Amino acid sequence: MADSQGNDAQNGQPQGRYDGPRAIDPVVDDAHDDDPEFVTRTKFLSSVAVAGGVVLTAAILVPIVGFAVSDSVKSPKQQWVDIGPLTSFPDSQTTSIAVSGLSQWSDARVFLRNKGGQLMAIWNRCSHLGCPVEYSKGGDNYVCPCHGSAFDSIGLVTAGPAPRPLDRFEVKVVTPSGQSSGSPGTQHGTWSTAGTSPTDHVLVGSAFSINSSQQPYSLHDPGEPVTGTLSNLYPFS
Amino acid sequence: MSTTDIGPKGPAKQAGDSVINYVDDRTAATSGIGWFLKRNIPGETSWFQTLGFATMAVFGLQAVTGIVLAMYYKPEPTTAYASIQNITNHVTWGWLVRGMHKWGASAMIILVFLHMARVFIFGSYKYPRELTWLTGALLLIMTMFMGLTGYLLVWDQKAYWATVVAMNITASAPIIGPYIADILRGGTQFGPSTLSRFYAIHMLVIPAGIATFIGLHLFLVSKLGITEPPWSKRSMRARRAEEAAARAAARERETRGRREVTVEPAPQTLTAEADK
Repeated sequence: MADSQGNDAQNGQPQGRYDGPRAIDPVVDDAHDDDPEFVTRTKFLSSVAVAGGVVLTAAILVPIVGFAVSDSVKSPKQQWVDIGPLTSFPDSQTTSIAVSGLSQWSDARVFLRNKGGQLMAIWNRCSHLGCPVEYSKGGDNYVCPCHGSAFDSIGLVTAGPAPRPLDRFEVKVVTPSGQSSGSPGTQHGTWSTAGTSPTDHVLVGSAFSINSSQQPYSLHDPGEPVTGTLSNLYPFS
Repeated sequence: MSTTDIGPKGPAKQAGDSVINYVDDRTAATSGIGWFLKRNIPGETSWFQTLGFATMAVFGLQAVTGIVLAMYYKPEPTTAYASIQNITNHVTWGWLVRGMHKWGASAMIILVFLHMARVFIFGSYKYPRELTWLTGALLLIMTMFMGLTGYLLVWDQKAYWATVVAMNITASAPIIGPYIADILRGGTQFGPSTLSRFYAIHMLVIPAGIATFIGLHLFLVSKLGITEPPWSKRSMRARRAEEAAARAAARERETRGRREVTVEPAPQTLTAEADK
């Protein structure tokens, strides 16, 4: 050892690098402070604390947000509502009637049209932005007071910004004992009065949207077209 | 300073000082308030820079009047309109407090837009104040939302149908619009659940958000300082100096008559003839 002191070149060591004995040997260092990959106790405990905090916060926030939101986006359960005997809706007339209990929350005004032996229930909710449309007996048409949409006698758009015809409710007629009376009409949701008796009752059911040729679609919100390019903007409707 | 200030302070002043010192030693409140309020500001500030504070003052008015209105308002479809009639016609000074809240709402919207216009025209949204602008934009959205939710609470025909239309406009946003509208309405149809939901949003959700973001907004204003108008003497002088330097540099680049001479090669035809 002694002859190697200060003579590293002979041993094939790089010049100027001392490899001999030292007065104080370097301490074997177990600390991994300089190793960013090494998980120290502090790092581990910090991660556990953060993860625990995230879990606890989520355990509080998830029920809160779910409570505030989830029932709102559920589609309501529709049910049939009795709106009175057939005699309340005279032939060749459109009768306006307020209906409650169609779903959990809503009240709706329905225009029940009895013409040519067919019953048709038109919702007064404008298909543009939901204002209540008004029925004009003289013109046998519907006009929205908000933005001037106009609809013909069966709710098809004749003027204004409405993107689709007025929505409708399904109609059926039953005998006082609950038996079906008459038969479904030519269009979806309508009902033919042939073979019914005046004491039979008219029932109004779930709402649906239609396109300009009266093809039925699922109920859309106001402002949403049911056909055409723009209908793709509402893929979940 | 007059000589009367020399000598022991009076007992009242001593007691006051000791209270201030007690709090200050434990909170550093004095230096904190100094940091917040006693800032250096540019020379040419004007009344235009008070619009932000004016907005906040009206928000304070809305908060206080809103709290006392909530003591009389009954957020149920059958009672809402009647309770507002009661506030306006029967409760002492009810007409005044409701009027302050109603007109304060309009004032806040107007002030918030004037404030935004001032920031835009002064260019105060530029570096380093982008995040101040961003928090301000969120405050603007929340203020508009306060207007929407508060409008319904009157529960008369105009409020009802205007909000029906507003919710249907929300629902007509692509893809998520119907869901947002359902969540705001508290169902797929507008109804009683919408009133209580709007009341909670108007009373609790948005005010908490506005208060939080006013805090952030003010912190950033205090940290970054306020801007001078772009037509202030100092910034005009700086701009003039910049332009003069640019002109001088352009002059320096000019060639002053010594232009590079391009030497054209001799015509090929002549050489060809000489070779012959």
